[in-house]
Amino acid sequence: MSLRVLNPNAEVLNKSAALHMNINAAKGLQDVLKTNLGPKGTIKMLVGGAGDIKLTKDGNTLLKEMGIERKNVKDEGTSKNLEWIEWKRIHQIQNPTAIMIARTAVAQDDISGDGTTSTVLFIGELMKQSERYIDEGMHPRVLVDGFEIAKKATLQFLERFKTPVVMGEEPDKEILKMVARTTLRTKLYEALADQLTDIVVNAVLCIRKPEESIDLFMVEIMHMRHKFDVDTRLVEGLVLDHGSRHPDMKRRAENSYILTCNVSLEYEKSEINSGFFYSNAEQREAMVAAERRQVDERVQKIIELKNKVCSGNDKNFVVINQKGIDPPSLDLLARAGIIALRRAKRRNMERLVLACGGEAVNSVDDLTPDCLGWAGLVYEHILGEEKYTFVENVKNPYSCTILIKGPNDHTIAQIKDAVRDGLRAVKNTIEDASVVLGAGAFEVAARQYLINEVKKTVKGRAQLGVEAFADALLVVPKTLAENSGLDTQDVIIALKGEHDQGNVVGLNQHTGEPIDPQMEGIFDNYSVKRQIINSGSQELRMVTFSATIIMAKLSGQCNQALIFPNLTCCRGNRLDLKIFSFSQMGWQCCAQSITFE
Amino acid sequence: MKEIVTIQVGGFANYIGSHFWNFQDELLGLAADPYSDPVFTNHSLNMDVLYRTGETQQGAVTYSPRLVSVDFQVRHANAEGDFFTTDLGNYVEWSRSHASMSSSGMSYNKVASAPTDVVTWNGNVSTYAAEPRRRNLFLQRLHEEDQENWSQVNSINGGRNKPQGVIQDEDVIDFLENSVEYWTDFSKVQYHPQSLYELSGLWMDVQEFDSYGVGRDAFSWDSQGEEISERLRFFVEECDHIQGFQFIVDDSGGFSAVAAGFLEDIVDEYRNTPVLLYAVRDPGSHMIHKSRKQSISRNLHDAVSFSRLSSLSKLIVPVGLPSLSRSKASMFLGIEDAKPYHCSAVYAASLHSISLPFRMEALGPTADSCYISGAADINGVIQMLAGQSRKNWVAILDVAMPAPSLTGKQAEQSLLGNLQPLTPEIAEDMEDLQAVESMTIQGALGSGGHRAPVCEVKDTVHAAYENAITRPKFCSLSVALCPLPIPLPFPKIFSSIVGQHGELLGSPVSGSSLKGSLDVHSIPLASRLRSSNAILPFLENRLGNLQKFGTRQGAAGADLLRRWGFGKEELEEMGESISKMVMELDPNSQMSSESD
Repeated sequence: MSLRVLNPNAEVLNKSAALHMNINAAKGLQDVLKTNLGPKGTIKMLVGGAGDIKLTKDGNTLLKEMGIERKNVKDEGTSKNLEWIEWKRIHQIQNPTAIMIARTAVAQDDISGDGTTSTVLFIGELMKQSERYIDEGMHPRVLVDGFEIAKKATLQFLERFKTPVVMGEEPDKEILKMVARTTLRTKLYEALADQLTDIVVNAVLCIRKPEESIDLFMVEIMHMRHKFDVDTRLVEGLVLDHGSRHPDMKRRAENSYILTCNVSLEYEKSEINSGFFYSNAEQREAMVAAERRQVDERVQKIIELKNKVCSGNDKNFVVINQKGIDPPSLDLLARAGIIALRRAKRRNMERLVLACGGEAVNSVDDLTPDCLGWAGLVYEHILGEEKYTFVENVKNPYSCTILIKGPNDHTIAQIKDAVRDGLRAVKNTIEDASVVLGAGAFEVAARQYLINEVKKTVKGRAQLGVEAFADALLVVPKTLAENSGLDTQDVIIALKGEHDQGNVVGLNQHTGEPIDPQMEGIFDNYSVKRQIINSGSQELRMVTFSATIIMAKLSGQCNQALIFPNLTCCRGNRLDLKIFSFSQMGWQCCAQSITFE
Repeated sequence: MKEIVTIQVGGFANYIGSHFWNFQDELLGLAADPYSDPVFTNHSLNMDVLYRTGETQQGAVTYSPRLVSVDFQVRHANAEGDFFTTDLGNYVEWSRSHASMSSSGMSYNKVASAPTDVVTWNGNVSTYAAEPRRRNLFLQRLHEEDQENWSQVNSINGGRNKPQGVIQDEDVIDFLENSVEYWTDFSKVQYHPQSLYELSGLWMDVQEFDSYGVGRDAFSWDSQGEEISERLRFFVEECDHIQGFQFIVDDSGGFSAVAAGFLEDIVDEYRNTPVLLYAVRDPGSHMIHKSRKQSISRNLHDAVSFSRLSSLSKLIVPVGLPSLSRSKASMFLGIEDAKPYHCSAVYAASLHSISLPFRMEALGPTADSCYISGAADINGVIQMLAGQSRKNWVAILDVAMPAPSLTGKQAEQSLLGNLQPLTPEIAEDMEDLQAVESMTIQGALGSGGHRAPVCEVKDTVHAAYENAITRPKFCSLSVALCPLPIPLPFPKIFSSIVGQHGELLGSPVSGSSLKGSLDVHSIPLASRLRSSNAILPFLENRLGNLQKFGTRQGAAGADLLRRWGFGKEELEEMGESISKMVMELDPNSQMSSESD
């Protein structure tokens, strides 16, 4: 077969085997993630062989944890163990599809911050539905056509179904809280989720500037292994993970000027005049002294500014420097009553200015009091070898810190993941200027819309594709019900019935009764939902469209490549085909034609 | 005291690092042991240069390497198979189940072993526990020793000869010889929890992570590098006067791109802090490639990787021979090339000795103690080698392991003549009047097998240079009395001719096998960094390949480079910068990027 000539490592499977392989991979992933979904889902505690613990209820984290390991088994090339080679062939080829789905789902998280689990569930369910029809002899292409129609219709329906939220000068805090609460309650127990709801909403509102997109990096997330999860709080201001490095500097200062700078305050050998080759010792000494003097002068300028603004009052002066400060400079600063921190995070330069005001300076030559920021309280907190500096009581902050506390690392890590999701949810809401009713309400409504209205307008077998897509949407309410220990069929029937009477209904996870998500305050992000529908069917296209899938390792060019030979045509010794490889940009067509060697 | 922060990126770099830190740990242990040889208790080396003092939250004092190590997430080496087909029950198969070390470090973890409740969730909890992997024999023994130390702090026992409960030294050594699979398997050092960073979520196995392009694709520094640079910041912030970074990278594959991202970040953030870069490779990465495509890809990787890394460091030292076992460097050693555990030990030993001048307590430019001589800092060595009239920032690493006795037959020649290169693709017997060398000799043996005093070593070496036929323009010499201690987990690689203190025995004991740490307790070692035009073939190969496969019209690898994300201009710049390096060393060179 010509393709074998092209690349002897290519693995070829026939049509139905390839398809079932893909379907199985998708279902396998779905099974792994299914129990995660919703506020009644199961949290997973992963205990490594070394006793290291990871706690997660987040599909994204879980998928990343499951990064695939395959030990390389060198091909002995012998036919001794054909059975084993056959086994290996099937299993290894199974990975690319699973990887593809996993990567799509993780990319989903990168784009919109949530929805990994739902994406995987949706793709898995679409696969299951497809399998049924394909087994009955339907051509995948026709099915995919139906999916396309259904997808378009669903997206249009989403536009109508979403609830617009007016984001004026003052966003509706209640609706933001409801969205944040909905996502946090799927990750953390209720009381903690509710506490964090206020924190993340306030954090986003703090950094939000009118007319600008929200930069979540301006919310610092800091953690301390200390006390309990409920001690997590929002600090209006900044928490730095280091302290001053001089014993005489104050550990607590009120009413402080803050100088944010990126100026080297350490003696460094300049490149030209260093090394072994001084002509004599005096010259060397003179060199060193001159360089030291330059550093001292810089320090002196800072001290002058301090004296200017602090003389005759009880105000304090804090220097936070991105570059180093060596002990002689620290000495000088300490004697002048200045608190100095060195090697601040690059990002904190920006955050400090947003939190305290003033500006970040790169040189001490043009220091004026206008450069200075302000904080009502600066103090240090020490835990073992870890030091924290709190810069608090600032005026009009545009940057803040969420300080996560917890008794151990895995608790902290899990809260951190949840906080990130919560922040993203609030940001999405503000930027989408709309939300979507949750608890499965959208999925039920969209399904009924597709079946009752769209399906009729489609001709021929593609109808079945629409139907399959519609049924696949129900995986969300079904899984929610299953995770709550309810009977899925009862639940779906109840929901459909209630819907057909003209009500918008979601699932009450405690009773299994239909509820009005609006009343309960259960809202999801519009952009997340949109993304799930979009990427779900796109993946599917990739997977089912190919009658035969060839996984080829193209000598290191792409790692996982999918070739679609039914998009190929042969011209002489040139074979035109599409090869997709995965990169940071997502799936891309990386080659269109290959010449036989 | 000026601090060094060490960075290890990639598999083989961490193998070397593991041995490197074992040497340091052994030095620390011997220095604290009142019964050990005085050269170890008074070595006049300041360990604080490499180590930091810290404190756990419980108030216990810790002393750990100032290190950031980046590697793949460690997994069960036998995990073959696909967990997606079943459910999470397979966690046993794919989990991070390497018991050797959890990434959070050891000393900080003692308290956290109690079973934990999930405090953040009221609903169901499902636990997927990987089968707790048994500690390997060596680590088990370490653990036991640790327990002993906890229970009887006051009992001081002679380190090496301490009677062991169940596990015998011999068993441990045999075990390590045959079963080291990962660098943590033989590490006896306690790392700080911030030190070990594991890449996860790449969905790729080690074999696939094999080129600059793949590395750049799978790990984007801009989006994923922040935590790594935060960890580096943690160690740098503590330093009062950082002298430089000692950066070891396994540049045989995708980690080269990770390191380039890291270096870019370092250059950005710590502009004036010099980076001494070792680009290391294990012999396995030199294998011959079956297809033309593979070999093009490999050649381009080598060129691109070298170009990127050299442009981001002040001095780059390529280390790693295609076959260490057959090289002259292992004249007194028995190495198996297939074992990274073996090869990395030799490279680590030479890195250790190169680093000695950086931590000698400088008493002043002229005053020498009787233990050390020739203190220098990283910047000084780099300026000396790279910053002369001739700008060449690619250095060659040579080693004599073990270093021959000063008073042996033809002592002069043998010491210099025994220094053999560990840098690949270099010319032999090239005469270079402008060569500059920095040599470190530790624990050299003099007459009668006694350790030669520092001044004698200096005189002998200077005399040797005087008498040599080709002399470098300049050579700086650092001498330490303290030899290289051989820690227990050091591989059995000494030939039978090597004695207990690393002396070369007159006649090889016939029929006896290789010796390890039980027979050889310390060795004298000489190593050298050399800036010489002998590096020309190395540079020319890279330049030639870049032009032949990359930038020339219709080059076979042009597509590949585009996929790796390199634009035409970028490649031409790379070509130019390598050809400048070539020109600098060989003004008559005809090779230049303008030629085509």
